[in-house]
Amino acid sequence: MTTALNELRTDALREIGNIGLGGAVTALSDLTGVLFTLEAPQVMQVDTSSLSSMCCVSPESLVVGTVSRVNGDWPGEGAFLFPWQSACVLWQILVQMSPGGLEELNELYQSVINEVSNIMLGNYLQAISQMTGFTLHMEPPAFAADMAMAVLSSILVEALYGQRELLAIETAFRTPEHEFRGYFLYLPETGNLEKLFGVLGI
Amino acid sequence: MAEVKLAGMGEMVWTRGAGVLGCIGLGSCVGTLLFDPRTHTAALAHVMLPEAHDQDAFTLPGKYATTAVPALLRLLDVPPALASRLKAILVGGGELFQNRSQALRIGERNVEALHKLLSELRIGVVFEHTRGSSGRSFEFDVATGQIRVRAVGATAVVQDLSAALGILRRAA
Repeated sequence: MTTALNELRTDALREIGNIGLGGAVTALSDLTGVLFTLEAPQVMQVDTSSLSSMCCVSPESLVVGTVSRVNGDWPGEGAFLFPWQSACVLWQILVQMSPGGLEELNELYQSVINEVSNIMLGNYLQAISQMTGFTLHMEPPAFAADMAMAVLSSILVEALYGQRELLAIETAFRTPEHEFRGYFLYLPETGNLEKLFGVLGI
Repeated sequence: MAEVKLAGMGEMVWTRGAGVLGCIGLGSCVGTLLFDPRTHTAALAHVMLPEAHDQDAFTLPGKYATTAVPALLRLLDVPPALASRLKAILVGGGELFQNRSQALRIGERNVEALHKLLSELRIGVVFEHTRGSSGRSFEFDVATGQIRVRAVGATAVVQDLSAALGILRRAA
């Protein structure tokens, strides 16, 4: 790995994940009026064999996902994954209806998920930017609904392109009221990790 | 169907005479299968990227189109000069995220790279289910030459490739 990841640095990445997504999940709770809780983030060095164990969803199950490019001082990609049933919970809360299946997934439903991703990633980046002083910009999310493994691998393969290793900060968030789970992944460009650690003084 | 030998990302699997090979959840990756009619052997690579740019090319040759094709030939024990007797099957290479800002078009480039490599070796593609915007899983039964491709929200595509692959039908 270009940047050695010792325990302290892993902890720091985990903490950043916590703070960032804390802000993001608060925004989601404000938007929906539902309390979401965070699980402890996991920092993973992703290789091709560990991929299938990510995000705890079965490989052929239907998921809805977004990915947004992040530019600035800590560039990378931010991605959200929702198992289909969880996406339906979000749709029910936000637009009081949900598609009966993939064939009913229209632009309205897509834009709801894109907007949720936008708000959450925006707050995630804002929290990180406040802590580090980094300037971070995000581009609009791209949307997909397909087999979990196909969506996840498409996100990761593209992030992996041009770099040797892939680092993923994975956080799950859930709500006790509904059968809901969401996953957030931040995939920083590994070459830019030193900058982050430098700012944090580690 | 017999138990499926699955090629995970960047991996390769092979079987002779009988058995089922497959890939689960192909997004931009391409399941690349080569079949040798002479030995009735099939080898499959789960190709992730068009060209090699790191050390993995040595440890995981199936990961890149440029290293996967020669590695499949070695698995089949067919020298490049005789590769034209092989038949190819390609599945995957979709672009699931349609309006992605950093559009690297990995799926499309994987498919292009594989076509170029296969045509250089004069290997004919007998079945292809690639590009588009959907993820795919597939299984190929080596004994019968039947392929089955599944995508979310679509009827499975089942095709008998025995004639195209030169598999002789044995009496049941």
